[in-house]
Parts: sequence; C-alpha cells; structure tokens
Amino acid sequence: MTSKFRSISPYGSVGLFALLAFLLFLNLASAQVSRTEGRIQPESEEGVPVTDPLLKAKCGSCHTSDDRGNMLRLSWERATPEAWERALKRMILLAGLDLTPSEATHIIQYLSTNHGLAPEEAVGVMYEIERRIYEPTNIPNTVMNACGRCHNIARVLSWRRSVADWEELFRGHAFLYNVRPSEEAIAFLAKMAPLHTTEWAAWKARRPDRSVAGHWLVTASVLGRVRYFGEMQIESNGPDGAFNTRATLQSVADGATAGRSGRGIMYGSYAWRGSSKGSNAGDSAPNDISNDAREVMTSAPDESSAEGRWFWGQYQELGFDVKMQRASSDATLLGIDRPLLKTGSQSNRIRLLGDHFPPQVSQSDLNFGSGVVVRRIVSNNAKEVIAEVDVAIDAPVGKREIAFRRSVMPGALAVYDRIDYIKVTPDSAVATFGDQTRSRGYQQFEAIGYQNGPDRKRHTDDDVELGPVDVTWSMKVFYESEDTRTDPVGSVSPTGLFTPAADSPNTNFDVWVIAQAKTEKDTDGKPLVGKAYLVVTVAAYTFNGRRYVRDLDRWVDDGPARPVRQ
Amino acid sequence: MKNTLLSFLALVATLLFNPILARAHHGWAAFAAESQITLKGKVTEFHFVNPHAVVEFEVKDDKGQVQSWEGELPSRSALGPRGWTAASLGDKEEITITGYPAKNGSHAMRVTRIALSNGKELTLGDGNGIHSRDSSVNPFNR
Repeated sequence: MTSKFRSISPYGSVGLFALLAFLLFLNLASAQVSRTEGRIQPESEEGVPVTDPLLKAKCGSCHTSDDRGNMLRLSWERATPEAWERALKRMILLAGLDLTPSEATHIIQYLSTNHGLAPEEAVGVMYEIERRIYEPTNIPNTVMNACGRCHNIARVLSWRRSVADWEELFRGHAFLYNVRPSEEAIAFLAKMAPLHTTEWAAWKARRPDRSVAGHWLVTASVLGRVRYFGEMQIESNGPDGAFNTRATLQSVADGATAGRSGRGIMYGSYAWRGSSKGSNAGDSAPNDISNDAREVMTSAPDESSAEGRWFWGQYQELGFDVKMQRASSDATLLGIDRPLLKTGSQSNRIRLLGDHFPPQVSQSDLNFGSGVVVRRIVSNNAKEVIAEVDVAIDAPVGKREIAFRRSVMPGALAVYDRIDYIKVTPDSAVATFGDQTRSRGYQQFEAIGYQNGPDRKRHTDDDVELGPVDVTWSMKVFYESEDTRTDPVGSVSPTGLFTPAADSPNTNFDVWVIAQAKTEKDTDGKPLVGKAYLVVTVAAYTFNGRRYVRDLDRWVDDGPARPVRQ
Repeated sequence: MKNTLLSFLALVATLLFNPILARAHHGWAAFAAESQITLKGKVTEFHFVNPHAVVEFEVKDDKGQVQSWEGELPSRSALGPRGWTAASLGDKEEITITGYPAKNGSHAMRVTRIALSNGKELTLGDGNGIHSRDSSVNPFNR
C-alpha cells in the first residue's frame, strides 16, 4: 500500500467507523449517480489545460482529456493546497488511486501552482486554514442553507469553478445528500468564486520564482502583543518546494530562548505549509512556543515577508501570529515591548527589538513621530535598544509608525490621552474540559484599550483601537445550572490564558473572564474593566441517543452514543 | 429498496459528517418559567456576543440602594439580522426591561422585552429561549 502521504491539513481526524461508513455510502451513491445522472454537462468556459505527465498518468483514466489538454472537471477547477489534498484523499479512498507520498506531494504542488488560488483569492479563506474562529457575514442565507449546514463556508470558497462545474457539484450533492439544488446559491457561488478572475490572471503573470530559502527574521505575537522575536533559517530539501527550517526565538518577557526545527512546503510560490518541533517540547506549558506546531504562512508578492499562524492544541486553539521578513545587513526593527504611551508622560522606558542594531546608537536614530522625544539611549546591543522617551501633553493621539533609521514599523505604537474602555478579545469564546480521549481546550485572552471616536460613544465605528493594556485577570461564573455546584471551573493566568479544571464536572459553565486595568480609570475614578463571555463546556455530550463532540468552532455529530465503559 | 438504503446511508453520512453550527451553553432551567418582572434601570455595559448578548444594568431598590443586574438576550447571530449592534444599548442609557428572573434570587433575568426611555422597543425576535422547554430541541444547539 503506497497511498499514504503526510497530511498538510491541520484538521482533526475522524473515527475509523465513521470513515468506513462514509466511504461505503459514497461508493454506493457515486455508482448510483453515474447511472442516473448520465454524462457530465459539457463545459462552455475555457479550461485550464493539464500538462503534468504524472497527473495525467495517474488521473487520466477517469478524468479524460480533450484535444486541448483539458482534463474532465480538473481543468475547470482551482483550489487551495488543502482542498486539493482532500480531493486527492477522496480519490485514493474511493477511486483506488495509488500514489507514493512523493507523487502525492508533486501532484498537490502542481495543482496548487497551476490550478490554485491567487493570494488575493485565498485571503478570504485563510481563517479556516490558520484555524481561527471567524464568522463571515457576507454570505446569503441561500448559500448558508445549501452549504453551511455541513461545511465551514471557507471550505466551499476554497474552490473556484466554472458555472458548469458548480452546477455539477450541486447535482452531485443533491443526489448524495438529498439537498435541493438552489439556483440562487449556484448563481452566488458562480459569481463569487468563478474559474476565471482578474486576480488569477494577474497572479499567473507575476508569480515570483524566488526561493523561500534564506535567513528570515521572525516575530510571534498573541492577540496584538509581541511575545517572541528571533530568526529562522530555511534551506531547500529536494524537489516540489520542500524545505527544512531552524529557528531561534527569544522571549520578550524574560529573554529565554527557544529553538525550533521543522520542515515545510511552499505551494504555488506563496502558501507555506509546515510543521516544527521545539527543542524542549516535553516540558512546555500549554501556550509555550516550544510546543510542536503546524505552520501556515502566506508570502508577500515580493517574497520579502510572510505572515500567518503557528498553532497546536486539541482544537488548534493555541499558537502565535507570526510575521517574517528577510534578514538583511541593515538594522531591522521587529517590535517594541510596550505598545502604548500616554500624553504628558515622562521617561518612559521602551525596548526596541530587532536585528543588526549598530554598536553606536544615538537618539536621532530613533523616530517615534510628532510629540514623542527620545530623552536618552539607556542601553543597546545588536538585538535590542532600550530608550527613554517623553511624550508631549499635546502629542497627536492614535496609532503611529516608529522607525529605527530606515526600518519602519507601521502602527506599532499608540499615543493616547485617555482610554475610554477596555475590550477583552475574543469577546466570546469556548474552552473545554478534557475527557478520556481528548485534552483540555484552552483559551487565550487579551485586553485591548479603546478611545471613543468623535461621536463619544462606545463600540461604534469611529472608535480608535489603541492596543494591549496591562491588566489583572480574574473570572466569575455567572450562570450555573439550577443546582448550586462547587466544582472548580478553571483559572486565568496573569497573561490571560484560561485553563479549564483538570477534572471535568460533566456540565457547562458560563463565565465572565474579567480584565481590570492596572492604571487606567474611568470617569468615576474606578479602574477600567472589560469582560469576555466564556463558555466552559464538556468535550462531548449525548443528546437523543447521539454523541456530539467539539471542534474548534462547532459541534460535530459523532454518531450513535456508545455505552460508557466503567 | 435501493432508494431506502441510499436514503439511510445518506442520513448516516450526513449525521456523521455534518458539523452543526452551535455554541454550547445552557438551557433556561435556572430562570423562572412563569412570572416575569419588569425593572427600570441604567445600562452599564452591553455585551453583543454569542451565545447570548448580555446587558448589565443598575437598578435602584426601594431604599435607593443601587443593585447590579444582568439580563441575557438572544445571541449576536440572532440579534444582528434584526438591526442590533454593539452600540444598541449605550452606556448609562435608561431602559425598562422585562424578563424571567433567576430562580436562585440572583440579580439575573432572561430578557423578553427592552424599551428605551423614548418609548422605542427593541425587537428581540421570536422571544428569548421560547422553545427551550421543548425536549426535542437539543439544548446545546440553540
């Protein structure tokens, strides 16, 4: 059996029973479709010819070619690497496709490059690939009813198809799942996710050919606060865009360093999919950067920078927002340790993190913008500069760029005269008790300061987001079931990480996670307080004879409830 | 026969593989099911979130003492299409609020009606957990 290849998808596995049942169903149903639906509708749009000999050899017996080199269905579809991987797995399991791991990698690479999405097209679905919780608001009910009951809508929009291919997809779904085809939904998807787009045409023309190999500078942030900075070396490791990585990251908080090594593949010249391990992963705290991680990064068009997420955890809920830029011999600014400065404040000590800072640094090398004056350089080395700055009482408020010589960081610093309110982000979330088969699901929070805009009202569009505020964290259970319970729910760390209790009380709790500002006060002189609504839930539950298990942002029907073993 | 088998398998596959969009939280058992109360108060915070929006408000009791209350509303997902935003209940806004109080005597209620000081009533939709006593409805999936 050679049809096993290393998955690039960061999603959880499904049970063997479920998989077998599904495959049995699909086999039967697919056969039925081919007998009852007849031939696939002819295409009226121009296809994307397939030129790869391996793909044609492996897939050509079913996906027949026309005289222009178009292969049935394949030539009228484009998709993300994850979507092509899922399609390939389906073909391996259902159609008997036989591939070695390297053949699978080659085919996914070919399809992602020649039948992929332009970076601008992929932006809208990256939240699912990076395992972020996001609720799209621009999808009409007809599409949500047709697709959203089973799929995260990002999975649907991971594809671009011709009109005929969208129709074909719906015809298959109508038969397989008894879903009534919706003309409105087809029309929406055909318009929103067409095969031919200006973005794809432009991307094909400008697709860079520069290798990702080289020396990169890295910052790792959580909810807007820089936690680590360092560097990463990427080296080529064979054909089809495979690379090895080595990284060293330093904690902003305490200076501790963490080594990482891994490997990855750059699909379609911009989509990095990798994994890496920490050098001391065995001793890692849940949110420590030494944990083994998946890496999803998107390279900028000029390949001088990349950003994405490294993540892990039972629900891939833990991780860092990562930004990378190519190292150079010039001084490079990567981040600062405090993103907020108050007007009228004096002698604020601020750390600038970076690379290749020169041995001699003067005040004039730093630029914090109008109204912020560098009083003195406290210390400096190649990786950091510590400076003291004064902020004028009339300094313009709002976010601003900072610079070290020619290295500029847009929006890195916010100057404020008051913080009107604190918003805890995410404002609602789910954490999960563990059970016999699943680890606990954690939740990281951050407190963000806001200033009311010109309308002087909270939570309106003109509010100014200032950045992370130093707070103390606490929690309060505000909903319990009718019986008063004393079970421990969990705790919030000083850095805002909620950890559920080790023992599941086998019930849910609604909890306020509360951030109280250390210094900022409201108009009544009370410390500013922000709250997030956290549901701490069981990992699985049974309802009407069926078992439901938690995924990142939803409950998944896991089949009939099984007796609990004593 | 074949159609029956296919339908069954389709159902099995659908149930096995269909993630259900849901927010696990709670039913309404902690709130009184019959008698409602009406309070007048001032909004101190409005949380426009899932799985429930929550309004925090202050009420003066008969002795003039200020009590802090929390009212649970439908989810942001349910309120958003009805025109609600995070700014629908402003800071210090005076409201008249009606709902089912918590059974345990805490200052919490399941809100069924909110009216602003100008008399405008904010629409909650089909009630707040109005179907929750139907045992066929999965309490986790509302």
